[in-house]
Amino acid sequence: MKTALKTVSALAIATGLLAGGAAAQEMPERIGYIVNYATHEWYQNVIKGMEDRAAELGIEIEVIDANLDIARQVAAAEDFMARDMDVIIMTPVNEEGVVPILRRAKADDMPVVLEGNPVQGMDVLVAICDYDTGYLAGVAAGELLKEEGRDTPRVMNVGLPLLSATILRSQGFMDGIQTIYPEAEMVHDLDGGGNPDRSQEVSSAALAADSDIDVIYGINDSSALGGLQAWRAAGLPEDDLLVVGTGAEGLAFLHEMFADGPFKLEAAMFPEMIGYTSIDTAVALFQGEDLPEHVVSPTTAVNVDNVTDFYSYDGESRQIQWDAVNALEAPAQCMKYASDL
Amino acid sequence: MAVSDTPPRPTLAQRIMASEHGFLALVLAVLIVVLTLSADRFLTPANAVAILHQSSLVLIVAVGMTFLLITAEVDISVGASLAFGSCVVMAVMNETNSILLGTLAGVGFGAAVGGINAVVTTVLRVNSLIGTIAMMMMLQGGVYLFTREAVQNHHQLPLFPKIATGYVLGIPVPAIIAAAVAAVGMVVLARMRAGRLALAVGANPSAARLSGYSPERIKAVAFVVTGALTGLAAVILTSLLNAGQPTAGTGFELTVIAAVLLGGTSLMGGRGTILGTILAVLILKVIDNGIIQMRWNQDLQIIIPGIVLILALYMDQRRRGGAGG
Repeated sequence: MKTALKTVSALAIATGLLAGGAAAQEMPERIGYIVNYATHEWYQNVIKGMEDRAAELGIEIEVIDANLDIARQVAAAEDFMARDMDVIIMTPVNEEGVVPILRRAKADDMPVVLEGNPVQGMDVLVAICDYDTGYLAGVAAGELLKEEGRDTPRVMNVGLPLLSATILRSQGFMDGIQTIYPEAEMVHDLDGGGNPDRSQEVSSAALAADSDIDVIYGINDSSALGGLQAWRAAGLPEDDLLVVGTGAEGLAFLHEMFADGPFKLEAAMFPEMIGYTSIDTAVALFQGEDLPEHVVSPTTAVNVDNVTDFYSYDGESRQIQWDAVNALEAPAQCMKYASDL
Repeated sequence: MAVSDTPPRPTLAQRIMASEHGFLALVLAVLIVVLTLSADRFLTPANAVAILHQSSLVLIVAVGMTFLLITAEVDISVGASLAFGSCVVMAVMNETNSILLGTLAGVGFGAAVGGINAVVTTVLRVNSLIGTIAMMMMLQGGVYLFTREAVQNHHQLPLFPKIATGYVLGIPVPAIIAAAVAAVGMVVLARMRAGRLALAVGANPSAARLSGYSPERIKAVAFVVTGALTGLAAVILTSLLNAGQPTAGTGFELTVIAAVLLGGTSLMGGRGTILGTILAVLILKVIDNGIIQMRWNQDLQIIIPGIVLILALYMDQRRRGGAGG
């Protein structure tokens, strides 16, 4: 799918609902969400956003965790269809695996909103732009280093080459930083598995091979933190290190950013916003509105100076600051898609 | 002319292959030589420290698992217990501001998990493979009832990060802890009655029972020790990640069991050594490290140890077949 998907911003959907569409038309009573991995902090905050928005609109939401099992996801979708849910939202465990269930849903006139990754035959997808997210963080990292008068940076990417979304983030980051430092180099391109312990282990071996690194970029917060912990375990000085995480998944990035250490940038993806937008999109789909294929949820690079604009943090919990997040503008379309890889 | 009955003197290669640990030591030496010649920065103090660091957690748990496999039992729940244990450690330290209490909580948690595994296996007579898979599932789900997110460091005790990142005489603290655990394990297995009983129970539980020893009790101790060592590893992991991580430990149990089997411990019980386990852990971690140093595809970090394990078990069978006749 080389052509760009038709896109529209999350804010436009929400504005449409608030403008009277939701009040004037019939609202869905029950929405079912099949999450691929509910135990991950990211999805917990997606679910939180969904539950908050559903409560505001008076909609009952039921969540089933596929726990990374495509068979369980298909069974859950069949269950929701049998129980005549008004709309199903689904984060695919496997992009190919959910194609048959999408076909069946279409045949049964069951509206389905996908979250995360596009699937052939889908009606509508709510997702961020992964490449753009990395790119914005890369530009911000470059600008930060430039302000500090630093030489051409050498980057350690704690990546996840298994997924197109995370490859796009890493590519975007390097392309972004190279707009400021054209000679910026990716010295280590690692597979941290998206887990903190695995990321720590592979980063540790990589740093033993070459520790002349200026920037650690992680495709999610666990990866960035695993890389940072490997740096610390190697006894390397943190003064000139810049760590950039991705996701704003949970509390960990806030904990580090508030600690005034090397974790100074976050490519924030606002999972609560994705949950919120998914519900709005589900309502719009139920009401028969003409929707684009891709509803883009905004992202931005957050630094230590403006992090409190987007999240309040008391050490135990966080609270999204909707005014700041809603003020972000989502791109009309992504700079690069998985199909461009 | 009289024909001599004296068998021909074995060659050095034959003696190495026939030796309990010679083959493993040879594999490790060959790996080190090849990687030293292939990767500029393999044979450096920094990389040696990195390999010791990476080997420590696996070795600590593998010592316990060696005892357990010797008694012909296995524990699949160590990875899940490691993750849950790390959350318990950080939560208790946050509450008490005490590294000692956090450590005791971690070790106690692991020992308790081991104790439950022991009851399931020796009292309820559930096969340990099945019983500990069930425990793994309970722990993986249970940790999310305990905490929905990684447990962050709110105590900021200055000594805490040093557990994982500190050095004594240039040696990483986790490596020192692992060496101490392995040394105790070697002494117990080779020189103490408890070790001999574990070997006897694994080799022939009926004979051990007829001799007046309870195989169930010895197996229960092995489960608890494995669990407690997993709890100790959880303390180090928590310090290393500066957080209790419910998502940690994925595949950890397979690495531990692969190392113990590669080290020559029999899956059927009754045979095994701590030295073999140490060499096997080092082999697996040198391979892991070498793949990154050589900048090879990291999927090989999963594939190559599998191949090495099969080869080692095949060579071991051939060696034993030859020795036997």
